[in-house]
Parts: sequence; C-alpha cells; structure tokens
Amino acid sequence: MPIDWEPIWLTFELASITTLILLFIGVPLAGWLALSQFRLKPVVETFISLPLVLPPSVVGFYLLLAFSPTSWLGEWLLHTVNVQLVFSFEGLVFASLLYSLPFMVHPIQAGLENLPASWREAAYTLGQSPARTLWRVLLPNCKPALLTGIVLSFAHTIGEFGLVLMIGGNLPGQTRVASIAIYDEVELLHFRTAHAYAALLLGVSFLILLLVYGINKRVTV
Amino acid sequence: MKKIVLLFILLPTCLQAQKLRVAVAANAQFVMEPLRIAFQKNSGVAVESIVSSSGKLTTQIQQGAPYDVFLSADMMYPETLHKEGLTQNAPTVYAYGTLVLWTMGKLPLSSDLKVLLNPSVRHIALANPTKAPYGEAAMALLQQANLLDKIQPKIVNGESIAQVNQYILSGAAEIGFTAKSVVLDSSLKNRGHWIELPPKGYSPIAQGVVVLKRTTDPKASQQFVQFLRSPAARRILQRFGYRLPTT
Repeated sequence: MPIDWEPIWLTFELASITTLILLFIGVPLAGWLALSQFRLKPVVETFISLPLVLPPSVVGFYLLLAFSPTSWLGEWLLHTVNVQLVFSFEGLVFASLLYSLPFMVHPIQAGLENLPASWREAAYTLGQSPARTLWRVLLPNCKPALLTGIVLSFAHTIGEFGLVLMIGGNLPGQTRVASIAIYDEVELLHFRTAHAYAALLLGVSFLILLLVYGINKRVTV
Repeated sequence: MKKIVLLFILLPTCLQAQKLRVAVAANAQFVMEPLRIAFQKNSGVAVESIVSSSGKLTTQIQQGAPYDVFLSADMMYPETLHKEGLTQNAPTVYAYGTLVLWTMGKLPLSSDLKVLLNPSVRHIALANPTKAPYGEAAMALLQQANLLDKIQPKIVNGESIAQVNQYILSGAAEIGFTAKSVVLDSSLKNRGHWIELPPKGYSPIAQGVVVLKRTTDPKASQQFVQFLRSPAARRILQRFGYRLPTT
C-alpha cells in the first residue's frame, strides 16, 4: 500500500518550527525563572506548567473558542492581522508552542539552578550583564539541559494529537499531521498503512531519545 | 475483609452486565436518547449508549469491545463486521439519513449551495468523506453543483458529524453539512438556521443496525433491533428527520 509522506513531513516541519521558536522563548524565560527573586514567580511557573497536567482536549476546546472568528480574539486577529488560527498550520504552531513550552523551560531552568551561584557572582563582579552572563557563562555549562529541552520539545510536538484533532480540521498538507493520519487510517480499517506511519514515528522517537540519553551520559561522565 | 473488597470490585461490573450496550454512530446520538427511553419503558431492559464515529466503533468491535448492538451511519462498516463473522446476522437498514446545511450566522441558505461562494464563508465544515457517509453525501452534492473546485480550499474535515457540529456551533466554521437529526434536537433547535438539501443530489445514507456475536444478551439485543421497526420507534426516527425503510 503506498504511503503518503505528506503527514510525516508536516509533523517534522511542525516540530522543528515549534522547537526553534521555543528555544528563543524558552531560554530567556528559563534564565529569568532560575535567577529571579520575583514574588509572583510561582504564578508564572504555574501557567507554564499547566499544559503538563491539563488534558489536550481542555486546551484544544479553549483554543477552538478563542480562535473562532466569533470570539473577540479571533475577530481581532482576522480583521487586523488577517490571520485565522483555527484550521491552519500557524494555529498548530501556536498551539504547539503553548503545549510544549514546559518541556523546553523545565530542563533548562533545572540545569541553570544546578550551577554554582559563585560562577554567576564572579561574572557580575567582573562587570558582565545578566544577559551576557547567561549567554557566555551559564548556558555553555548546561548543554545537556539545553539538549534535553530541545529534544523533549521536538518529541512532544511530534506526539501531539488531541489538540490537532480539536482545532486542525484535518487539512492535507496543512494540519493533517502523522498522528491524525494514523487515527484516520485506523478508522478506515487500513491497519497496514497505520502500521507504517506508527512504526516510523516509533522508530524516529526511539532514535531521538536514544541520541539524547547517549549524549547526556557522555557529557556528564 | 478480602471478600468484602472483592464484592465491591465485582459489584459494579455485575450491575453493568444487566445493561444492553448500544454503540451509536455520532449522527444518531440525539435520536438515540428518546429511542433508549422508549425501549426501556417497553421492555424493561436498560440500555446505555456509546457514541463515536462508525469507523472507530468498528475498530473497537474488531478488538473485542463489549457492545451488544451497533447502529452504524452506513452499511459498509456493519457489513465488514458481518463478513468477519463478528455479528449474529446480516445488517439491516433501520433509517435513511438526511443532509442539511447549517450556519450560526445570517447567511442566505439555499439548496443550490451558491451561498458557499459567499466571501464571508471562510470555512465549510463537513465530516471526513473517506469515512463518514454524511461527508461523502456532501461531496457528491458539491460535485453535482460544480462547486467543488472553487470551494475546496475552504473545506475543513471533522472526524465525525459530532466534530462538524462543534465547528459550526463554536463559529470556527461559518457553515457546514450535518445530519438533520442534529438540528432537530430540542437542545439545538433554535441555534442558527438550516436548510434541508435535496435527497436527489446524493445516494441515500442507509444506516445499518447489527447485533454483535459477543453480546451477553442475544434476546434483548434482537428485541432492540425489532423495536427499531416498531411504530413507536419509527415515529421517533421520523421526528428526527430520518426517512424510513419501506419493509
């Protein structure tokens, strides 16, 4: 049975774009969380971690309502920026950013918090700014944490299903990612095609995780 | 002590075994409620319904799901189960579904479907035509009206008629094709407006019912299938916009 590669590529495209954007958002955020003494920090941390505990259907349901042209946010996006997030690839990227954020932030934050405070203090004493300290001193010393954040975000986005099912609309080439394609093939009773997709995702996920555990071991030893 | 714990673990499963489990395709989820109540009153047999898409229910049945009766949205899925020897007998048609066009907005609906070309229609929701008969029927209508090429980019696929309803009700899609039984339900009757589409445009959406081989109560299951042909059930089905088989 011929396999349609489009959902597979789309999945990896979504995961790559999401991971890349998350890297730019996640690193400064993790840096701030690790170093800040801000009183309301637990509130920020709670918001970031919410997708970890919420079922994807909860997030998907609210995004479906928020992105609809009948909501104020959806209407504003549509009429001022001409973006419609529901049923679009951009919408999936946005949803994935939200959904994979804790997977990027948590490992990096933990990595930064494990570094000795004296390194940071030394850098400050030598006149470095906090941003430069983070970039030049702290981050290079927690590469395994960075790698873990990147890989987990990527892997988690590949595995995303419930959210895409709720707001995607199953559009080939736009929102029909591999997890949805598998779901469809199973419903159509095409188990062989479903097997092909599923085995591919399983293999790729295994390799990615093996890679990260392998590298992390070498770095820490 | 152990015995008491065991009792509490087994008790709920024993009680559940008394109920007839009917797996229902999403299009019939609303009509199932009055059917269930009427059958219960008639026969004294309690019924619980499991709603999903026909394809998913079929897969679940193939994997041994403990359902007694299966009400599909088409004949293909129950026939597949019949060929695999998972049913008591061949599926029969219990009703024919009717397609409607439904919107929450003020769009001027018409049976020639020209409204779909309206620039304010950005998304048209229909059930995935590869696996949902209502989606397939909608596609046939669009093809017949020579609209498919023009509106193809606007089409979004719901995984079942239930998701199409979500898309229309939430306003995520401005318009969509759904089952008449949905818009006739009392909870949705006054939401938006709809128009029935000409049945000439699509082949009849024959919906099959079948008793599953692994039923724990073949007698009650057959009773339920027979009940679907009774005048009381036919009245209910008709009230929800279904057309009925003549036999």
